[in-house]
Amino acid sequence: MIDSDNAKTVESSFAQSGDGRASARVSRETISTVTVAILCVVMLLGARFISPSLGSWSQVETVLVLGSFLVVLSFGQGLVILTGGLDLSLPALITLGGILATNWIGVYDTGAWYLLPVALLICAGVGLISAIGIVWLKVPPFIMTLAMSIIVSSILLGYTKGTPRGASPDAALALMKGSVFGQPAVISFVILFVIIGWLFQSRSAIGRYLYAVGMNVDAARVAGVPVVLVQTLPYVISAVCAGLVGIMLVGYSNGATLRMGESYLLPSIAAVVIGGSSILGGSGSFLGTVGGAILLTTLGTIISAIGLEFGLRTIIEGTIVLVALLLLREEFFQKLGSLWR
Amino acid sequence: MLTKTFQTLAAVAIGAASFAATSASAADGEKFKVYLSLSYSGNAWQSSAANIVKALAATPPYNETVELIEVITGTDPQAQISAYESMIDAGADGIVSFPISSTALNRTIKRGCEEGVLFFMYDATVTESCAYNVSYLSSGFGENSAQALVNELDGQGKIFLSRGVPGNSVDQRHTDGAMHIFNQYPGIEIVAEYYSYWDDRTTQQETAKALTAHPDVDGIWAQAGEYGAIQALLDAGDRLVPMTGENSAGFRRALADPDMQAKGLKGVSAGSPPAQSGYAFKIMMEILTKQRELAPMNIEYPLPWVPADAVSICTGDTYEDGCNVFPESKVPTSFVSEVLNPVLLPEVNVESALNGTPVEGATIQPLPADIQEAGNEPGINCNRCEAPADLYKLTKVEATVQP
Repeated sequence: MIDSDNAKTVESSFAQSGDGRASARVSRETISTVTVAILCVVMLLGARFISPSLGSWSQVETVLVLGSFLVVLSFGQGLVILTGGLDLSLPALITLGGILATNWIGVYDTGAWYLLPVALLICAGVGLISAIGIVWLKVPPFIMTLAMSIIVSSILLGYTKGTPRGASPDAALALMKGSVFGQPAVISFVILFVIIGWLFQSRSAIGRYLYAVGMNVDAARVAGVPVVLVQTLPYVISAVCAGLVGIMLVGYSNGATLRMGESYLLPSIAAVVIGGSSILGGSGSFLGTVGGAILLTTLGTIISAIGLEFGLRTIIEGTIVLVALLLLREEFFQKLGSLWR
Repeated sequence: MLTKTFQTLAAVAIGAASFAATSASAADGEKFKVYLSLSYSGNAWQSSAANIVKALAATPPYNETVELIEVITGTDPQAQISAYESMIDAGADGIVSFPISSTALNRTIKRGCEEGVLFFMYDATVTESCAYNVSYLSSGFGENSAQALVNELDGQGKIFLSRGVPGNSVDQRHTDGAMHIFNQYPGIEIVAEYYSYWDDRTTQQETAKALTAHPDVDGIWAQAGEYGAIQALLDAGDRLVPMTGENSAGFRRALADPDMQAKGLKGVSAGSPPAQSGYAFKIMMEILTKQRELAPMNIEYPLPWVPADAVSICTGDTYEDGCNVFPESKVPTSFVSEVLNPVLLPEVNVESALNGTPVEGATIQPLPADIQEAGNEPGINCNRCEAPADLYKLTKVEATVQP
């Protein structure tokens, strides 16, 4: 009862504190989501000029499978950014999830699916420690998550003695290699994940609290938002998402390494920002982030098909990301709109 | 376990600072003071190479005569330079090291040599001539594996190049050797070339991307990480192609697997052996104990070369009776098979490679008297030197198809 009251208060104060027109806010987010989706389709179709095999359904499948890691990861990162923080511990937590899945579950019994939630719970614990440092002890998120990252990776290095052992749990293999309705199972999983993630972020009371805290902590507190809880939650969710990505990666390549998470940190932030969120928090939607993740992955598969020098390919990739980011900024549409008038 | 974790933790977090603390506590003048200087021990290759040295140093008689101190400095040359400086000042007798740069460490090494420190580099090399380089780099991995792939493809077909780390001299040397062969065959078309950072997961993802544009690929030339390429092919369809790669247990077991062969997998396992570290340590100890006289030189570690039909799965803990890969129950797919060498390192077994533990009852065996000198590789193992005219000479395989 109290919760729903609070939600109303937040909702109304939120609408008043913004640009005053709820319709404008909704359409802005929708525009960036739709633009990202259009960009993806255009790139996929345009890719046919690079190689006739591109732009096919099998490429879409590859993009969705490779992009699934980034989608799940950037949900957590997106929530953290939404509340004005940043999670740099994701690579270490991906590795933690992966190592627990192979070195612990994989060595003990690959059929022990019931241990996977325990592994995620351990990741949640790490996220909670980060959150305690940030919310209670007021350590800057940047420093706290970086420190957790170093601590967790060092513990993993000691635990595995440098060589992770064991095989992938069967459940992870089923998720990444199995098929549902003739399509890779992971595609159904990602669609389900996106729906739940979107409902949580944009349609639940907690989700609205996150926006409120990201916009103005003091205003949110006055409005009755349980600020401490709402600031803690994103780090825990982000850690669980990263652990899940670790387990998915283990299923994808049937094994873990100590550096398996390294290449995902910056893309996770990039996906969130390209998707239209403010890096300072308080705005953005998960659907935009999903678009950003898919855009980055699509771009990656197409770029690698261009027969250019590695350096040139990286320059092109960076340029396209930059242009996409500029195109998707709300100011760009506002300027465009004012020119129109 | 706990203290070890903390040591590693400290080593990773504060690098050289932790090193000063460990060396201060080592004041025993009786033992040879030997340092093991690593870059990053976060991958199976690096940690098994380090484990072999630790196991050897704990095997009699070295357990009584050697004090081995491990220092991890990360991937920053500056950190390794200061680590070397501290080791020299602490009175090191010898330093066994995986050098991060082939040139940046030279001045420090020169100073160490003048103080009488022996420098033994394994796998990667330095161009400073007073250091000993122990490496397979001059043994022609690139050209030999490329020729083997061309032979399997009858000189015709579209191929992928799965390379290592951009800008790395080792990756460049391998690729130059391979291109020397591929360029001779107009029927060979390189349709995709990507960097896989010597990592299984990256190889799998990059190969998956390349396969979307070129699903009709005929062969793959890969550096380390090759097992990821097999997985990407299996993900994309039920078709495998001839490929060459390095020494992961996953790749070797796949080469010997009749199911995989039926899907079209053929090829050769060759490439960088972690056993180089143990070989370097043993040569250094023979010099320190005056069993061998050897001026600083570039020493070649023979190129591991295991074609599909030579793969044989071991039943025990060592490579005996010609077996050359351990089963899935014993080592993960990323385990680098060439960490043991029954001739050069008979003292250690698979547990030594995984945990750094000595084998019970084993004692250090003398090395074969002959040591193979490595050819010049300008910028890799020598400065201002000329490469031999037959730099890309084939040593392990002959061309069965003519261009």
